[in-house]
Amino acid sequence: IPDFGHKYYLQFSTEDYRTGENAGSCLATVLYPRKKSPPVVSIKCSHTKDQNEIQEEDNTLYQRIRQQSKPITGSNIPDSYGNIEPALEPAWALAVAGSSSIMWEKSTEDLGYFLAQVKSVKQWMRKDDFIEFDYTVLLHEMPTQEMISCHMRLTWLPGHPLREKHFCAPQNHGLEEGSGLGSGSAAGLSEERGANF
Amino acid sequence: HQVLRVVPSSHEELQRLQELQGLEHLKLDFWLAPRGLGSPVDIRVPFPSLQPVKAHLEASGVSYSIMIEDVQELLDEEQREMIRSSRRLPLSTSTFNYEAYHTLDEIYAFMDMLVAENPNLVSKLEIGRSTENRPLYVLKFSTGGSNRPAVWIDTGIHSREWVTQASGVWFAKKIVEDHANNEGVASILDTMDIFLEIVTNPDGFAYTHSTNRMWRKTRSKHSGSICVGVDPNRNWDAGFGGSGASGNSCTETYHGPYPNSEPEVKSIVDFVKAHGNIKAFVSIHSYSQLLLYPYGYTTTPVPDQQELHELSAKAVAALSSLYGTKYKYGSIITTIYKASGGTIDWTYNQGIKYSFTFELRDTGRYGFLLPAKQIVPTAEETWLALKVIMEHARDNMY
Repeated sequence: IPDFGHKYYLQFSTEDYRTGENAGSCLATVLYPRKKSPPVVSIKCSHTKDQNEIQEEDNTLYQRIRQQSKPITGSNIPDSYGNIEPALEPAWALAVAGSSSIMWEKSTEDLGYFLAQVKSVKQWMRKDDFIEFDYTVLLHEMPTQEMISCHMRLTWLPGHPLREKHFCAPQNHGLEEGSGLGSGSAAGLSEERGANF
Repeated sequence: HQVLRVVPSSHEELQRLQELQGLEHLKLDFWLAPRGLGSPVDIRVPFPSLQPVKAHLEASGVSYSIMIEDVQELLDEEQREMIRSSRRLPLSTSTFNYEAYHTLDEIYAFMDMLVAENPNLVSKLEIGRSTENRPLYVLKFSTGGSNRPAVWIDTGIHSREWVTQASGVWFAKKIVEDHANNEGVASILDTMDIFLEIVTNPDGFAYTHSTNRMWRKTRSKHSGSICVGVDPNRNWDAGFGGSGASGNSCTETYHGPYPNSEPEVKSIVDFVKAHGNIKAFVSIHSYSQLLLYPYGYTTTPVPDQQELHELSAKAVAALSSLYGTKYKYGSIITTIYKASGGTIDWTYNQGIKYSFTFELRDTGRYGFLLPAKQIVPTAEETWLALKVIMEHARDNMY
């Protein structure tokens, strides 16, 4: 749109992240103004599941997490070989949902993201009914191909919207591997440290 | 714990040792009990008893040697070795596990086995050495002839894209099988050679196993660069250094100080130029499920755009026919993003018309961490697309 920006018309279908089942389709318009500000979005979706089904699934997930006797902790989900331990699936599922919020906030007309890996998860036990998790997630940024490390604190109770607070490590183009000229392992160490800041 | 050895040379010494056996509170463990003069006595001595036992022996003038300085250390090393050898190298390519991800050593061992089992079809070429001096191996599949027109396939140029190296291993075995059964690519091998570089970036690959699963680049250190590594798919001499790559060594798309600065890239460049008869060149990446042809560095369409586009459509249709996996296709710049210094832009400009890049499974759900059980299905479907490309090259010689 001359002198204003770009408007995109989208039609897309959605899938259940866990099962791959069709979850409905959406029609949307996304308007990116020339000046960098969040885009203006209008969207309408049809859902294959009704409210009751969704509520039931939320409750099942919630119970699964609450039933654990110890706080859930884990790292590298999925692992290098793509495996996710069944016991960590619920925590992973919430990470996916929470990360989508981070990715929504960070993405621009030229930058997009995928969740590459949950580097660590730690559950915080609360006195109330809310579930709370602390995550370090790795986001794969396109087209730069960078891995962005973000710290995310997430709370949830079925019937309430997922809430997350996050902080993503700034891109240290030069600081992370400052000692990289030394031995290979030193470079590796500083990179790992960087990833977990 | 230490293990001490005493060789009694007198009856007194023998007696001293027998005394020790009676002192239960020392908790000594006689690996070799006292038998007679001249026969060694080996005693495992727990830490708290070391001092008293050594004192007792020294006071009696009994000389001893320390056979094992630290038993625990030996146990730990054995444990490590057991874990290592439970990933024992298979004895043949028939027992090799194609449904698992492997280490560099395992893949290199696989290559040697494949060559040993099929010496009349497969040979291993070393086309250069990586920055960390690892050999760069290419498998050549040939039924004869001399410098026949050839197909080149490389996998693993970006080390974190593990499904690609794993697929490369599967392709190698598949070529051998087809040839043995006189089906599939056997007919292509009648008139063409196939070159397959499975681990195009071995330094990066080793690094993904040892240190950082998400490492993409090479592991080179250039003077003037603060950080390690160059993106090997931005280091080719096609639009080098233009937009679509980064000049910052700390980024994932760093193009390097100059074209072909990376030995992993230069070795392929030298090979292609020296061969002079490569007709199809396919460089394999993951993820995104795309089939791409040049250019990435410019919006100018390649002269053969229409043919490449139609060929891509056929290849993608063949791929999808197996498991329904959906692929998109087109030129790099219109389908994915602008990228300069890319492999197939260079190979196309060298006159290799059928230059393609694949981005294999998936579309982001697992991304680089594709579950191992998807390796074989991915390799199988991709192979169908590769065959379409190879057959077209064979039937449209130029």
